[in-house]
Amino acid sequence: MMKRNGTGWLFASPYLLYAVIFFAIPLIWSMYLSFTDWNLISPVYYFKGFDNFIEAVKHPGVQAAFFVTFKFMAAFVPMVIASSLLVALVIHGLPKFKGLFLIGFFLPYLASGVVSSLIVKGLLSHNSAFNVFLRKFGIEVDWLSTPLSALLVVAAIIAWKFTGYYALILTAGFESISKDVYEAAAIDGVTPSQRFWKITLPLLYPALFTVLILSIGVSFGIFTEVYQLTGGGPNYATNTWQMEIFKQAFTNLSAGYASAVAIIASVVTFASILVIRKLLEMWGKRNGWV
Amino acid sequence: MRMKKVASLFLTATIAASALAGCSTGNGGGKSADGKTTIEFWAAPNPTQQVYWKEMAEKFEKENPKIDVKVSPMKESPTSEASIQSAIAGKSAPTMSENINRGFAAQLAESKALVPLNEVDGWDELIKNRSMTDTIKTWKFSDDNQYVMPIYSNPMLFGWRIDILKEAGVDKMPATYSEVLDAAKKLKAKYPDKYVWAKPELADPTAHLRWFDFFMLYDAASGGNHFIEGDKFVADDEAGINALTLMSDLKKEDAILTKQATDIFESGLGIFTDLGPWTFSYWEEKFPEMKYNETFGLSLPPVPDGADTENVNTFSDTKGIVIYASATKEERKAAMEFMNFVYSNPENDLKWLETTKLPPARDDLSSNESFKAFFEKNPELKPYADAIPNAIPSIDNAKYNELQTHIGRYAVNPIVKGEVDPEKGWKEMKKAIKEELKK
Repeated sequence: MMKRNGTGWLFASPYLLYAVIFFAIPLIWSMYLSFTDWNLISPVYYFKGFDNFIEAVKHPGVQAAFFVTFKFMAAFVPMVIASSLLVALVIHGLPKFKGLFLIGFFLPYLASGVVSSLIVKGLLSHNSAFNVFLRKFGIEVDWLSTPLSALLVVAAIIAWKFTGYYALILTAGFESISKDVYEAAAIDGVTPSQRFWKITLPLLYPALFTVLILSIGVSFGIFTEVYQLTGGGPNYATNTWQMEIFKQAFTNLSAGYASAVAIIASVVTFASILVIRKLLEMWGKRNGWV
Repeated sequence: MRMKKVASLFLTATIAASALAGCSTGNGGGKSADGKTTIEFWAAPNPTQQVYWKEMAEKFEKENPKIDVKVSPMKESPTSEASIQSAIAGKSAPTMSENINRGFAAQLAESKALVPLNEVDGWDELIKNRSMTDTIKTWKFSDDNQYVMPIYSNPMLFGWRIDILKEAGVDKMPATYSEVLDAAKKLKAKYPDKYVWAKPELADPTAHLRWFDFFMLYDAASGGNHFIEGDKFVADDEAGINALTLMSDLKKEDAILTKQATDIFESGLGIFTDLGPWTFSYWEEKFPEMKYNETFGLSLPPVPDGADTENVNTFSDTKGIVIYASATKEERKAAMEFMNFVYSNPENDLKWLETTKLPPARDDLSSNESFKAFFEKNPELKPYADAIPNAIPSIDNAKYNELQTHIGRYAVNPIVKGEVDPEKGWKEMKKAIKEELKK
């Protein structure tokens, strides 16, 4: 028994060490910093109690980050679920080369956020072929300087990036549904709508649940695309938690204050995901899917 | 039991290795047993400047065998400022680095992370030998110390597309606000799809962007009046409102575009832009059709009507070298010797100018014979050298990021979108800045 324990600890030790160094220590350190006015480099710093937290909740950047995250979620989650479902459905229906197509759709997930953002920036510029074409029809959109369109553009880039990854999970979900069930349903004369709501959705629910939770988690960690495309603007319209933390920690050199914002962001993220997860579970249970 | 021991040993070894790695300073500097002092120099993250500093280090080491200069590129993850901050926090800062602007230096100086250069032996000799007695005056910080050795002082100029101006019926580059507005009217009449000032950054509150729009106009309109002195807001209200009014008036003429666009000036979508000398090498390669005094001209910022159009002040984009407080006495001395070696010979500044096209921060740049041939060969850089005496460096307040963000958020950004009038924008910006300074 002792030998088995030792082997277990041996194999677990790299992860445990990783978790201690990269999660536990930074978390405790960040909590400590959040009560100080330290900028990490000054030899002198003072404890501020809860002042950083009070200042943070009053700050327009933090207030914006709170609401912007949910706005991103409202735009990004339906976008990515719809697109990944579509991709998964198409791939599921393919007679051959499913793996090849899945890899193809997965590739954007590996693409650099910086590069894709810069490409989109070029595509949406005032003098791009796309906008010149739109102007011929009298359509003039200031894509990245209008709050709603800026938010939608960022959400769309991230949705594009994650579609292949989530389609992979959903395809696995589709593949796990036995054809016999559909055949039996066809004999019973179910309509396509009934087939989707009564068979596909319930049996796909575990995969869909995973994708929903993952995509909601992504909404709380958006940074690269916002940093490259909008810098959090216009007027905080795309200011995410990560953007606000970055600005305070590395531009304004206020590590203590940024840590307080990070702690608030963690609590909001944890609480939101917990609530949303419970709601999704309730939805599944109410319909008898779990 | 044996397995448990192995596991414990493995765990202990891993933790010990990590802890030891964490204890490493990462600083290649120090004095070795053979009496050699090694200093670590972080160069700007671009190949041109790295080559320059490596060459300087090699030459210096030949003449000073007791000092080793290790040149390495400054990391940019995600910005060079963040890398420096992390290095200082992680006790792995180099002895010295270049690429430091005055605002960031003020942040570091406030945190006692920099050595006051005026307290290191050899500083006065350096100023004298490099002929920068006048230039260095504007670099003094509010605590009367000098924390940065300016490498280049680059007075920002505005470029005009003179070919398009001519087509619109404007024969000379506008020098006053009325002339700018007149040019705007003529341009819109001839080319409704073109703009005088097409610049998406005008609608972006990011702090450093204000150096290349608001401060150029403000420095010109105020005759170089300070904006912040120490912890006091001392800006010239009239000059500030005038600068914002020009933006507002251009917006009313539909002559400002703040949408994202590519190659704005080169394509002629916008005919007025801030230009630094670094643009010209890029144009040589990508836009050879951009010819000085044919397609584009360079001018000092426009001034309010009735103001002197000669000797106009402008913002100076300057960066320099700092020595970090973590450096030992020997390293500080060696760092100063290295700077003295580089800057006591004008040929090294000429080499810098040829390599980077950035004007060395010297009083005698336009009069010293060493640079004459260079400016004859590169006439588009001469206006920059001429403007050095009237160039105003950035504010030296440690909160420059927050303060300059307020200029964008409350004044420049809403004004160029036509959302507030200049007086209201200035008033709200002033209020926000004063509150920030009180914190």
